[in-house]
Amino acid sequence: MDIVVLTKRVPVTQEEELKIAQDGSSVDLSRVPFRMNDWDNYAIEEAVRICERHGGAITGVSIGDMESDEVLRRAIAMGAKDGCLVETKGIIQDPFMRASLIKNFIEKEGISFNVIFGGVQAEDDQFGVTCGILAAMLKLPFSSMVIGIDEIQENHMILRRELEGGIQERIKIKTPCVLSIQSGINEPRYVSIMGIRKASKVERKYFKAEQYLEGGAGSLIDVTRWFYPPKKEGAVMLQGEMEDTCRQLLGILKEKGVLQ
Amino acid sequence: MQEQAASRVLVCIQCGKCTGGCPESGRTPFNIRMLVRKRQFQYNIEEAIPWYCTACNTCTIRCPRDVKPSEMIIEIRAALVEEGNIPVTIQKALENTFVQKNPWGKPRSRRADWTDKLTFEVPHISKTKNKRLLFSCCIHAYDPRCMVIPINVATLLNKADYEFGILGEEECCCGNEIRRIGELGLFEELMEENKANFEEYGVKEIIALSPHCMNTMKNEYGDMGIKVMHYTEVLSKLIKDGALKIEKPIDGGIIYHDPCFLGKQNKVFDEPRDILKNLNGINIFEFARSKDISLCCEGGGGRMFFDVEVPYQRNGEIRVMDAKKVGAGTIATACPFCLMNLEDPAKEKDVLVKDISEILMEVI
Repeated sequence: MDIVVLTKRVPVTQEEELKIAQDGSSVDLSRVPFRMNDWDNYAIEEAVRICERHGGAITGVSIGDMESDEVLRRAIAMGAKDGCLVETKGIIQDPFMRASLIKNFIEKEGISFNVIFGGVQAEDDQFGVTCGILAAMLKLPFSSMVIGIDEIQENHMILRRELEGGIQERIKIKTPCVLSIQSGINEPRYVSIMGIRKASKVERKYFKAEQYLEGGAGSLIDVTRWFYPPKKEGAVMLQGEMEDTCRQLLGILKEKGVLQ
Repeated sequence: MQEQAASRVLVCIQCGKCTGGCPESGRTPFNIRMLVRKRQFQYNIEEAIPWYCTACNTCTIRCPRDVKPSEMIIEIRAALVEEGNIPVTIQKALENTFVQKNPWGKPRSRRADWTDKLTFEVPHISKTKNKRLLFSCCIHAYDPRCMVIPINVATLLNKADYEFGILGEEECCCGNEIRRIGELGLFEELMEENKANFEEYGVKEIIALSPHCMNTMKNEYGDMGIKVMHYTEVLSKLIKDGALKIEKPIDGGIIYHDPCFLGKQNKVFDEPRDILKNLNGINIFEFARSKDISLCCEGGGGRMFFDVEVPYQRNGEIRVMDAKKVGAGTIATACPFCLMNLEDPAKEKDVLVKDISEILMEVI
């Protein structure tokens, strides 16, 4: 089973005090560390487990700057056979454009696959639609929020999707297809530094994005402004000794109807 | 990378001195003598077992045949790390260290936030004359309970007019625990980054706030031509030389707990005690298991990140009960892991746990 896994290099923004440029045109990411998008981690792990059981090869594909090579090395260290980096000039935010880029790349370079995996969403822009748009462009079946792949047959798969409230939906999907993988589908393995160093010896292929964007519609979405969420009120800091603050808190809980 | 002496399991005579001194034996499924035996015959070792080791090094110190069982544990763990077969919490700690250079995954950019609480400026090491570096340690930089320690030590050094500088956000995890967890590649990267900074800024002396940082930089970073000390060694000398004057009295009973990485591994027993001896009005007690045979708090060797499967009575609780038995109201220590591991059981038993720097701040 040959699987193409889309992987994205994203900034680690938890607890960072992000700085927005004065004119609101960009976020300063110069001092923020980066890593592989968490959902893509689960996608690669799932692909590796499938290929360990059923045979086949995994190809990592990353769209972004040259630094994205880092996530391809990680994918290879986890078990992918090789990686392709499609280098863009600047950041392409519009998911329609990204999907179009991936579709043209796959077709022009003749990348063969049985399934394409992507993560449900990216940690930075969180559109969550690139895989769906890609599937439509490739005229392939698509399933999102995949939380389990139970059966793999010659021309279809049985999988489970995660719905609200802990409910899961079991579906049968024809292959080839596109899936977006939900976090929690598995526990991604640890990759050691020495493992990543070894993976660096595997050749990754590099391509320029321009050739796959020709004739396209261009970006349908423009980023007009970055701004901080407005500071709202509503947080109350209780002061005083432990006994006092507990009494105050009890009062508030009763008043708000939380405690009956 | 500095070649650490490999373990020598084949010369083991199964005398049992290792298990006899191990803080985990008898309480957990971990039995170091048995593990060495299994290693001799290349038998399978159950996955969870190697993670109980606290890296206190008692086994290696006591062994009459120089088997170095603690190095063997690192070798076993390293193999598990390369397989990717490690407990999830350890995995998280390693991944956090890779991305943010500290196992808690807190932002690297905030590593020097503790300096905001000081009333004076701490210069970057490059701007100092003596090139004396204060190495804070990840837990001191980010944990709310421990953040007071670098604040205290910086204040005391400033009071004694003892020049020092910091690396700020260029400081990254020393790698002591990372090496003991077996991620030798990551340890190498951390060591190289720290050493490159030491060299770039011409660092001549390092004052480490944590015995763990001191241990690895002194013994495992190779010959850097840099003097590496624990802060108690520095403060003890400053008090002796009169640069720091202890003026206020303090009462009560204090008992000193020797951290493994400071005491039995690096033989720094006297300096923390010398500091305490200067305090007027207190009673100083000693544990029966003190100095070389101090009871490990179970914080080292990656244990801060390992969830045991079956709960058992922890050494921290035993230590607190021992302190209570002799009538000491306060346990003094000089390691942040000991501090954290002793304070939890201590709170329940009405015993205080204080870092040496906290006690000094009360009397200076």
